[in-house]
Amino acid sequence: MTTDDSGSDAVEEAPEPPDTFEDTIWPDVNRSLTAVDVRPERSTLDLIVHIPRADVVRGLGMLKNAEALKFDYLRSLTAVDNEADGVDVVYHLYSVPNNINLTVKTTLANDDKVVETASNVWQAANWLERETAEMFGVTFTNHPDPRPLLMPEDVDMSDTFPLLKSHPFAEIDILQGEQLGYDRDADEGD
Amino acid sequence: MVVEASTPFEASEFETQDLLINVGPQHPSTHGVFRMVLEIDGEVVKDLVPYIGYLHRGAEKLCENNDFRQGIGYMDRTEYLAAHNAELSYVMAVEALAEIEVPERAQWIRMILCELNRISSHFMFLGAFGVDVGVFGTPFIYAWRERETVIDLFEEISGDRMMYAYFRAGGLAWEVPTNFVERVQQVLKSARQGVKDFDGLLTENEIFIARTKGVGVISAEDAIEIGMSGPSLRASGVPLDLRKTEPYLYYDQLDFEPITAEGGDVFDRYLVRLQEISQSIDLIEQCLDRLQDGPIVPEKMPRMLRLPEGEVYMRTEAPRGEYGVYMVSKGGNKPHRLKVRSACLSNLQALKQMSVGQYVADAIIILGSIDIVLSEVDR
Amino acid sequence: MSTEIFGIEDVNVWVDALIRVLLVVGFMTVVVMGLIWIERKVLARFQQRLGPTRTGPIGLLQSVADALKLVGKEDLRPRNADPWTFELAPYLVFIPVFLGFVIVPFVLDWQIRILELGLLYFVAVSGVNIVGWIMAGWGSDNRYAMIGGMRAAAQGISYELPLVLSLLAVAMVVEVPGTDASAEAARGSLNLNEIVASQHEVPNIVWQPLVTVVFFIAALAELNRTPFDIPVGESEVVGGPFVEYSGIRWSMFFLAEYAALLIMALVFAAVFLGGWAWPFGIWMDDAPPRWAQALVVAGKASLFIFLVIWVRASVPRLRIDQLMGFSWKILLPLMLVQVLVNGLVLVYDWPEIILTVVGLFGIVALFAMVERAVRHPRPRPMTAAQLQGEAAS
Repeated sequence: MTTDDSGSDAVEEAPEPPDTFEDTIWPDVNRSLTAVDVRPERSTLDLIVHIPRADVVRGLGMLKNAEALKFDYLRSLTAVDNEADGVDVVYHLYSVPNNINLTVKTTLANDDKVVETASNVWQAANWLERETAEMFGVTFTNHPDPRPLLMPEDVDMSDTFPLLKSHPFAEIDILQGEQLGYDRDADEGD
Repeated sequence: MVVEASTPFEASEFETQDLLINVGPQHPSTHGVFRMVLEIDGEVVKDLVPYIGYLHRGAEKLCENNDFRQGIGYMDRTEYLAAHNAELSYVMAVEALAEIEVPERAQWIRMILCELNRISSHFMFLGAFGVDVGVFGTPFIYAWRERETVIDLFEEISGDRMMYAYFRAGGLAWEVPTNFVERVQQVLKSARQGVKDFDGLLTENEIFIARTKGVGVISAEDAIEIGMSGPSLRASGVPLDLRKTEPYLYYDQLDFEPITAEGGDVFDRYLVRLQEISQSIDLIEQCLDRLQDGPIVPEKMPRMLRLPEGEVYMRTEAPRGEYGVYMVSKGGNKPHRLKVRSACLSNLQALKQMSVGQYVADAIIILGSIDIVLSEVDR
Repeated sequence: MSTEIFGIEDVNVWVDALIRVLLVVGFMTVVVMGLIWIERKVLARFQQRLGPTRTGPIGLLQSVADALKLVGKEDLRPRNADPWTFELAPYLVFIPVFLGFVIVPFVLDWQIRILELGLLYFVAVSGVNIVGWIMAGWGSDNRYAMIGGMRAAAQGISYELPLVLSLLAVAMVVEVPGTDASAEAARGSLNLNEIVASQHEVPNIVWQPLVTVVFFIAALAELNRTPFDIPVGESEVVGGPFVEYSGIRWSMFFLAEYAALLIMALVFAAVFLGGWAWPFGIWMDDAPPRWAQALVVAGKASLFIFLVIWVRASVPRLRIDQLMGFSWKILLPLMLVQVLVNGLVLVYDWPEIILTVVGLFGIVALFAMVERAVRHPRPRPMTAAQLQGEAAS
């Protein structure tokens, strides 16, 4: 797919008029999100909207049910660690009947990484949130099954969040076998 | 012959206990290192809990610490059966952020290689699925015969049978061999015969139909709700094919329709994949007709890629579904965040819903029909 | 007491029995190893590969190599396995199969023992190995083994009925050529020797085509072979009841399976294809040389074995409920009808061509019933919605 030239210029010469996002799906989105504080942003390919944490799940529900939008397919749910600026939870939405895309972002502060679960809106969010929770330390309240997805279940990894930038890239201190108390010398009989 | 549905299966007079069976992680039929715990009552599955993560290698973190060219190798390994498609998403994401224009010849060759990879991946599915259903070995060997022809061709092109690292941001790593078109024609001829063999062996077989029809049904609404994609979704009747709905490369110039089926059961998932092989053969021929000479990388290609700030969610239609790469760049030569949207992970979520209430033997077949490859589930 | 064997007069009965047993065991082991080789080669050819090629010329010594390896393996027993059940199970599977050899007619007038109730003995003895399977499954202290054992028992018992009825149907109408010229030809015999002899003009497959087909299917199920190999379904329960056995014990199961295949093949050749009597014709005096007879019997048994391997290479596995439904709801009724028709032919002395016609109709009916069962399957035991109160977690 060639890059999306969505109308805004990369070259800055004269001050340009403020972007009204009229040529995207923003007007419909804005109309559907009632009583939600939302801010749009352009990006390569899709439109991004930023919704504050307290309203995000409510907003997602509205986006799913809105007649003009019908975002019934949750493509992807993940998080981005912006270090000092907090953690962004990102939802990529798609509408099967209307063939439109939307990205929804919400920002969580580093000391308060809590947001409501989206699995009541789409079942697809279930496993995706489990993975985001264990990788970034985000707590999704009211999640039906808050177990780790990819991390081992026999070792306690509840304070290790691998995808955070603060987690080191090199060796991890958790070894298998020796630190788990498996004693090679104890003979178990034949 | 048709028996009325008798009284529901209840533990009435006896105190019976449900049996907890652990399938995997080492097991001949789970396609990779996968574990599921089944709670069965007699032969009926009452609950299914999957455990994944045995193959988690931290591909996303690795990509965040390596630059944009080194990441291609990691993408191969997240989906080793359809590596070209995995590389394609990544490379297209980089090109979108860096606004690189890819020459035409490179795009056509990319399409041909991705469709060839789809053929080999679907043959792999047919082989493994035949083993699951119980035909000892014969479909497996047929599948391998076809895969060998495709993989030999890939080895001639990129030097590797499985992890190609052949796509680059901007085009291809090097030019294809001079006999590329003839070799592809040979592969297509053999693949056509392979499809006929499989069709003759399995599609009309009474026992195969009895085993797979009506088993593991998922409706279109449930499939969309749970986020399935690819042939598993199309078998439920949803004509969602990313090559048609959000065309990338030059798929909008080609003439094809997404293949769907009505029932959403195991047989339909098998049939959709079998027909997609024929569709891919047809698409490759259309691409070969349009292939022209030309450069394979743009003229001014920087050696070290530094991308501006931005983010993109680039999705393509891999053989197993929607393989998406969400890349966030904050300047510099490494991605700030790389998320691989795995088709198999989303498809696997539906396993419990499809299997509960069926027999144990069917749970294995349903798992096979979703066609997962664990490296993509776990990354 | 004394008896004669191979023309040597006045041999002690016990010595005579010992000689016969040793002959059988020796013959059996060699033939079974050859049979394993044949299966691997033929199966490989169906799958476009070669099979064993390196051990010995064209891989002939592969079975020997496997046997040597198995003999040298450690004899493991799971800690919580019940010792008696676990260790006796292989014997209970292995011995009844060998006992079945007693009545198989190889050539004219030479069997281990000619029994008047040969077929009854055969059926009775071949049912005992089901007990062995259950013992193996339960004694292994392994869930997969137990599931496999239960499945094997259910399947074995279900398919005994069509098997027995098919043999009964044949035994009913067998016309024993009387040695006494004045007596009328008697009808009905369980003596395998007489059954073979009665086919000196026409093999039983002509008069009883449906019965042949049903016997073939029931034999596949008794042998736990594809499409009825769900107890040992490799991709599911990984070997079924035998998953915890290793070394010699496992090889006993393996040998028993192939020995059973061999016996079924020989019984099939004897009962349905005419054994040593067809196409040679004639009873005692003008019998062709023994080696020719043995060759013919071997050829007919090979046909059965080839068909079994062919089916294995081509057909998926039936699920346990489909398998049981097939036996109880399709094969059993057809066999009951067939027995009824045979009885009518016996009583009213109708021409035997009626049997052929009925049999052919029966085969058509079999296919029709299978087709209908496939296109209209039973509803599921429960719906997913009944089991889960809410959506998947």
